Amino acid sequence: MPAADRRILTIPLNRVEGDLALHLEYDGAEVTNSWSSGIMFRGFENMLKGRGPLDGLVLTPRVCGICGTAHLMAAARALDMLCGVIIPDNAVMIRNLALMAEHVQSDIRHGILMFMKDFLNPIYENESFYPEARLRYEPFRGTSVIKAIQETKRMLEIVAIVGGQWPNSSFMVPGGIATAPTCNDMVSCGYIHKAFSNWYEREILGCTIERWSAITTRDDLETWLAESDAHRRSDLGFFLRCARRAGLDKIGGGHDNFISVGVQDLPPWTGQSLPVSLLSPGFIKKGEKTAFNQARISEHVAFSRFEGYGGGLHPFEGVTRPCVSGTNPDKYSWAKAPRYDDIPAETGPLAEMLVDENPLFSDLVRNQGPTVFSRQLARLTRPARILPFMKKMIAEINPKAPYYTTVKDIPDGRGYGLIEASRGALGHWMEIRDGVIHHYQIVTPTSWNGSPRDANGIRGPWEEAMIGTRLRDPENPVELGHIVRSFDACLVCAVHVCVKR
Amino acid sequence: MAINLYWIQAGGCGGDSMSILNAESPSILEAREDLAIDILWHPSFSQAPPAEHRSLLAGLLEGRIPLDILCVEGAVVRGPENTGMFDTYEGEPKKELIRRLAQRSGIVIAVGTCASFGGVTGAGETDAVGLQFSKKTCGGFLGQDFRSGRGLPVINLPGCPLHPTVMIGALTALTRGLEMELNAFNSPLEYYSMLVHQGCTRNEYHEYRIEETDFGQKGCLFFHLGCQGPMAHAPCNKFLWNRRNCKTRSGVPCIGCTEPDFPREDPYFYTPNIAGLPINLPDGVSRPHYLAYKSMAAASAPERLKHRKTEV
Repeated sequence: MPAADRRILTIPLNRVEGDLALHLEYDGAEVTNSWSSGIMFRGFENMLKGRGPLDGLVLTPRVCGICGTAHLMAAARALDMLCGVIIPDNAVMIRNLALMAEHVQSDIRHGILMFMKDFLNPIYENESFYPEARLRYEPFRGTSVIKAIQETKRMLEIVAIVGGQWPNSSFMVPGGIATAPTCNDMVSCGYIHKAFSNWYEREILGCTIERWSAITTRDDLETWLAESDAHRRSDLGFFLRCARRAGLDKIGGGHDNFISVGVQDLPPWTGQSLPVSLLSPGFIKKGEKTAFNQARISEHVAFSRFEGYGGGLHPFEGVTRPCVSGTNPDKYSWAKAPRYDDIPAETGPLAEMLVDENPLFSDLVRNQGPTVFSRQLARLTRPARILPFMKKMIAEINPKAPYYTTVKDIPDGRGYGLIEASRGALGHWMEIRDGVIHHYQIVTPTSWNGSPRDANGIRGPWEEAMIGTRLRDPENPVELGHIVRSFDACLVCAVHVCVKR
Repeated sequence: MAINLYWIQAGGCGGDSMSILNAESPSILEAREDLAIDILWHPSFSQAPPAEHRSLLAGLLEGRIPLDILCVEGAVVRGPENTGMFDTYEGEPKKELIRRLAQRSGIVIAVGTCASFGGVTGAGETDAVGLQFSKKTCGGFLGQDFRSGRGLPVINLPGCPLHPTVMIGALTALTRGLEMELNAFNSPLEYYSMLVHQGCTRNEYHEYRIEETDFGQKGCLFFHLGCQGPMAHAPCNKFLWNRRNCKTRSGVPCIGCTEPDFPREDPYFYTPNIAGLPINLPDGVSRPHYLAYKSMAAASAPERLKHRKTEV
């Protein structure tokens, strides 16, 4: 293709948390190259240097307005490790409960308020699903929008009951939690959980969680959709019907590598009714799963506007020194590029499902590779996996037993906290020296998914996912919105993201 | 007649938008309808494709579309070296977009502590400030003389995040022309003249100086655990959060997130003290009198409080 026929498109994207600009090379039919740029730098990690040892519990939840509980949990776990403290079973469960409530909230708010709105794009005006999409998802008015706002705020009451408020509480501390939920608190959580689950089953799934969980193959999915009007009328049913009309099962592939750091470990005694960990951690490279080891994570800056070093550095060694001047044209983004074994990997609900060897999603990806469809289906149905665990934990928390193990002093040392946030793998690595924070590095899900090229010149996951995408209208590239939003992009979370064109 | 509103996110986390979705009686959707507010654009929830948004923005900037309310969420990022390129929109510094929109708007609302005073973003290395304040100093990004189309300074609604009831109350007062007296930091007195301490269920423990030195207890968090409830101005214990609770009630020390100097440099969850008495005393209290009063209070503490029998 002669260069003259090529165009560079620059597209600002909203409905991601934060702002994002995409720079694409387009040959008149499809995307041939891509560069993804978050457009804000806040310098969180350097802000923490020299501060009090517990300050990460206050400041890091403010990295992200939609998943602050996840940051709080990662920060608290890093401190637990550093202090060498074993936290009480109750604290493990309350932390999980709050994190899960946040996940459910995030999945629904992202799904209904942000992702589905792309079906209202004028490009779909003549599709049969368009009038229904308007009715359901129109901003501030759509029937599903109204209910999603109503129900998610109810779910978040659970976080407020056990942790004071949502967003931005700091109730997790090294040693457990600072709060001590009472019997009545847990009763209230139970009622809220029940009401939410009823709504989720009725409106989002259109069936019971049990029925949904019986689906293990792509063919089962078809059977389920054909089975009843309730299935077709639900938000999930709508998604299944129109996602394929819109071709979402054909776009948004990527590297086919996945990372999940596992989630929500549980006290061993719950093994009687619950597994020790609700999701196993792991790394999948082109279908091959290996055990996860955080020592294999590194961050590259070859194409990032940070002062350079060769290859990648583990987050304990990571440095965040923005180039405030100078114009190295190679450095197109101020996002670092996290890599596992120097390989880019996608993270999020789909990665969780694949690493955990969920039969349905393994089947979908085996047959079609990762797509916008499988990614978003994983997100929309994740609450079906989470809600039953929440119920069991609410029942198992014992308000008479301790929530906190005393931590007298925070010693000097190192610790890390790894958890699955709503958007995937999240890690905090910290070092305390002379009683203050000496080093803090945060690797967020969007850093993984929205990373720029690494030292080997390999594109980040969603940059890669755009390659080969055919655009119906380059002036209105709805396909790219679908792709990026299927990763549930959260640019405020990409803490060292910034770009200068 | 419909009032229009344009929402811009700058150096922040989007947490205020998420918080406002939690509004109850009315919900944000009910309030929008009652007040007949036409939300021209909100970055997280609007649907218009990029081209449509570009033309809307051009219309606003050129004055073809009169703008009634501008909401800014997040601090104004000025770095590096005053270029504003740490936070851009379509390759241009967002700070200039904010300046031009503010000049066109009837009312400008700083949503949250970052937009009001700089906040957490202002504590970083990006040279970020509030719209009309930089911490306690008036001026900020737009300058102390700035007045919006309706002759008002930037209305500051701090909080990290902003409490949704405050957002809806202030929005209602502004759109209906109700009287709303401001404090020295241009925040509505109705919400920001009270202290977080007021209404805390641990007040009785505070009163008799039943102090906690570690997490997970029922007593007062002010004397050792860094609670800023008696100094921080916010209605957290009047309106509560998510209809249910508040950090101080549940046992999490207040971090003073509505204050112009948030985040403070002192370590969190620790109260700097001299001879066991906090260096920073409750708002406006005289030290010698406080010392005498607290000694007497501690001496007269009832057994039920000493033994933490009273639930909080």
